[in-house]
Amino acid sequence: MAVGGNNRSRLLLVILLVTSLFLITLDLRGVNITSSSRSATQSFLAPIQRGVSDLFSPVGGFFSDIKNFGTTKSELKELKEENAKLREKVILNDDTLGQLKKLESVLDLAGRGNYKVVSARVIGKGSSATFSQTITIDAGSSDGVFKDMTVIGELGLVGVVKSTTSTSAIVLLMSDPTFRIGVRIARSQSIGVLLGEGDSEYTLQLLDPSGTIEKDDVLLSLGSDNNKPFVPGVPVGFVKSVKNSRLTLTQEAVVSSYSNLGSIGVVSVIISSKNGGPKDALIPTPRPTPTKTIYVTAPPMVDTATTTGSEENN
Amino acid sequence: MVQEAAISKINFPIAGFSLYLCVVLGLMALEDRFGAISFGFIAGIVLDFSPSSDSPFGKWALILTIIGYLFSRNRESIGDFTERPMAFVLLVTAGATISLIIFLIIGLILGENNGSILNNLKTIFGNGIWTLLFSSILLPIIVKLRSLTLTSRERI
Repeated sequence: MAVGGNNRSRLLLVILLVTSLFLITLDLRGVNITSSSRSATQSFLAPIQRGVSDLFSPVGGFFSDIKNFGTTKSELKELKEENAKLREKVILNDDTLGQLKKLESVLDLAGRGNYKVVSARVIGKGSSATFSQTITIDAGSSDGVFKDMTVIGELGLVGVVKSTTSTSAIVLLMSDPTFRIGVRIARSQSIGVLLGEGDSEYTLQLLDPSGTIEKDDVLLSLGSDNNKPFVPGVPVGFVKSVKNSRLTLTQEAVVSSYSNLGSIGVVSVIISSKNGGPKDALIPTPRPTPTKTIYVTAPPMVDTATTTGSEENN
Repeated sequence: MVQEAAISKINFPIAGFSLYLCVVLGLMALEDRFGAISFGFIAGIVLDFSPSSDSPFGKWALILTIIGYLFSRNRESIGDFTERPMAFVLLVTAGATISLIIFLIIGLILGENNGSILNNLKTIFGNGIWTLLFSSILLPIIVKLRSLTLTSRERI
């Protein structure tokens, strides 16, 4: 009986392994059924995902907030119950205000760049178990968002639209290891390729052998044919440090992005770009610190001779 | 859905945590040999349907079928999980870690780019730590929920 059971489970194992390998082969050969099935799943899940995202929206900063709970004592228990409803309201308001602030910044960047954009909320984030870095946004093809469109945040590039459904889209973040973008150094106009590394740092490979990279150099997107997948002139990042290696033909550098991909709540998808992009208009400049100018004026000089004279006349 | 809309949005220190893998592996460990392999395949197909997944369709099915087989081979030697909860937690953690390692190995064979080795090791280590912590809370609930679905005959 046990031998029969073993044989049965072995046969099942072989069948399922062969089926899995068959499915992988189909996918790698570009058979459309798999991508359409994922798209159908996304269409089905997006509305529910949006609801769940709204519900769990305030828990994003759970680990940073947890240290603030240490001071809770027994006397706070009564106040806690009393204030529970109010606190919930405040958290939701803070969340909404935070999203509004980010949206303002994103729209400001888009406006300065003359980009026509569609703004969207982030409703999901890809699992770390898949080693790929993606987010799901609540705008899709019905809003004019299509595959290979540039996605920007409040300070610069966020990623590119990977796939869309009618109501949602999946964005490949610029930190994904498969992400590549052509960039231009604003100072020297040298061009290079920026590679995602899977974390908050990126590698810049300069294509120009005679070009040089300096610390704090600003990188802007180079742009693609018909603005797909990238529109030109979007701030991408700045050079953090330059790698000095004699083994490579061209210079390499470590780059930090302007966008903080860890706490991204609102993004804009660039639908179109007018007049060939903003050129260098979007180079982030450090905000000037206000200087106080103090005018020192000398007190009016008193003509002692005149004063004395007039006093004498009196 | 809860994984992508809530769990993945939390910035866990070191690396993220996969609730789906933890629950699936917990349920898989409770099945018999035939059930573990079938359940692994079905759970893998469901994960392959995930729209954010960048890997070829069928990759997770392959991985979780292998894990199901490994679980079924070692299941009997571990004994009753209700009496040895720590063994249950460790088995699920090991399963989650091994499945990520297999994911990377298959990715390498298929020529996928999964980023730097250091970053991948950090993800595997972080996921392992969080699975170890959360599974000790989640697994007793999973065992109770599963026992509710069993018929009285199956319980005997």
